[in-house]
Amino acid sequence: MDIVVAIKQVPDTSEVVDVVEIDASEKDIKKDTLIFKMNDWDEYTLEEALRLKEKLGGIVTTITVGPSEWDDVLRRALAMGVDRAIRIDEDVTSLDSYAVAEILSTLISRLPYELVMFGAQSEDLGNGQVGPMVAEMLDIPHATLVVNLQLQGKEVRVSRELEGGVLELYNIKLPALLTVQTGINRPRYVSFTGIKKAREKEIEVVSLDKLGLSGEKLIPKVKLEKLELPPAGKRAEIISGSTEEAAARLTMIMKNSELF
Amino acid sequence: MALADYKYGDIIHRCFRCGYCKYPTSWIDLNSCPAYARFRLESYSTGGRLWLIRAWLNNELDWTEHLAEIVYSCATCKNCVEQCPLGFNIDIVNMIIAARSEMVERGSVPLAVKNFLDNIQRQGNPYGNARIKRGEWIKETGIRQYDGQEFLYYIGCVGSYDTRAKETAKTLGEVLGKAGVSFGVLGNEENCDGNEVMKLGEEGLFQSLAEQNIRQFRDLGVSKIVTLSPHSYNAIKNNYPGFNSSFDVFHYTQLLRNLIKDGRVDVSGGFNAKVTYHDPCFLGRWNNEYDTPRQVLNVIPGIELVEMERTRTGALCCGGGGGNFYTDFLSGSEDSPARIRIREAHTTGASVVAVACPNCMTMLEDAVKAEGLEERLKIMDISEIVGEACLVKANK
Repeated sequence: MDIVVAIKQVPDTSEVVDVVEIDASEKDIKKDTLIFKMNDWDEYTLEEALRLKEKLGGIVTTITVGPSEWDDVLRRALAMGVDRAIRIDEDVTSLDSYAVAEILSTLISRLPYELVMFGAQSEDLGNGQVGPMVAEMLDIPHATLVVNLQLQGKEVRVSRELEGGVLELYNIKLPALLTVQTGINRPRYVSFTGIKKAREKEIEVVSLDKLGLSGEKLIPKVKLEKLELPPAGKRAEIISGSTEEAAARLTMIMKNSELF
Repeated sequence: MALADYKYGDIIHRCFRCGYCKYPTSWIDLNSCPAYARFRLESYSTGGRLWLIRAWLNNELDWTEHLAEIVYSCATCKNCVEQCPLGFNIDIVNMIIAARSEMVERGSVPLAVKNFLDNIQRQGNPYGNARIKRGEWIKETGIRQYDGQEFLYYIGCVGSYDTRAKETAKTLGEVLGKAGVSFGVLGNEENCDGNEVMKLGEEGLFQSLAEQNIRQFRDLGVSKIVTLSPHSYNAIKNNYPGFNSSFDVFHYTQLLRNLIKDGRVDVSGGFNAKVTYHDPCFLGRWNNEYDTPRQVLNVIPGIELVEMERTRTGALCCGGGGGNFYTDFLSGSEDSPARIRIREAHTTGASVVAVACPNCMTMLEDAVKAEGLEERLKIMDISEIVGEACLVKANK
């Protein structure tokens, strides 16, 4: 079972949202003070791919499009246990989802695969578009927001997560593309020693030229006008007083909230 | 890794579960191990844990989340080490830490431990808060960035980010400032000391943190370090020398004692209260420092220092050690060690529990609230008590 997993690097903003600032171009965030990490969804996706590999054998290849700083996430994937890591050397800042999908699908079409896996979305942009676009470009079936998957011969049986906890079940013919939801598994911890060892493994670097992709094909179809931070909410209230007073105030707010 | 490759493979079988690891030195009950006190199951005592570890390494037990939680519920407080009658007692907590190392290298740790360690890898603190916010507490305190002063005042993660512990860090800074101590802090440039990282079994990450910190301290010309936290004190004093460091490191209570003795801190303003002192594990059992904090308290006029039943080598841990202040495997019950400790403190009739550790501070403050004793029992850091004694004097 050969699997290709596409991953990306994102800024770590989970607990540090108050350090995000817009830069002078108003089209990007200031990056110099941020710490970068693997997209959360991709960690779950890699874990799922590796579990399939551990059960069924085959090769897991992880790929990304980004500058050399993005080698960090590939190295982490190698430490997790993937067999091969490829980076397409291109700054993605000015690219839209379509262009990224064009690049990734061109590379994937040259790799051996029965399954292609993406995180359901990225933490930074949250479009959730690249996976389905790649599936269309490769002309293979796909399912998004997968929370469970079972291999059954030449098919994969997947559960998709819908609103209100409803699950949709599909049997999909391989080769197929799945975008994976967080919570599908418990990703393994990658130790510092593991990452150090992974530094000895090769990261293959591919240029757009080598993929035969010209600038023309990559002209964005979507143009970003402006990036803004959401306005600060005005409805926060810090409840003070003794425990009893605070509890009474909180109860009153809840009663008046129409939530119950 | 098989049992034969485990660092303690040749001795772990020698624990025959006599059960002494559960007793306090005063023999008053069976509650000296914080995890055993919380769960009351043999598997959560050190002896039970060692048997489980042996079975796991022997492939007689599969790894499960539950097994990992049991192994990680040890607060590394070393109370069991005091009690274990066997010749290898010095290593019984290390055996647990070595089993954690194996889980870390296999990638199979409880989620809370993974989050703790991932956050340290990324942001240098367990909370995952931004590195560039680490020094925010210093704003408007007048505390200076370290640039060659006599002491580096090392804060640690809890004192840098926890709301309550930040107050302690500030107060101690003010007291040192008033005493004319030449000191500076690292602010946003400070990184985790790694004490808990090591106790969680992440040796590689600990080594990297230690080496980075030692390099940074050296490059800045640091020779003397005073720490807010006994956890930092323990790592810098006992583990950093393994990476060729030689700093003079003090826990702040040791510095305060000297400053009071030399007349540079004037506590004659006094502090009128019945006070009981809670020994932090990383000052007490890990570093055999029981007297200095008590000396500081005893010298302050107005303090009546009373001891809890379990004290000094037998002091019950707050349950926050070994990363548990974050991973939280011991909470959620009346039998949580911090709550037992607060009830014990309350029975002394004290109105103040003096602590000397930001982890103990946060654990015991939560427990006071859970016990509904907020009006009757106050948790104060020794630096804050000293600060008040100085303030009274200054205002007279």
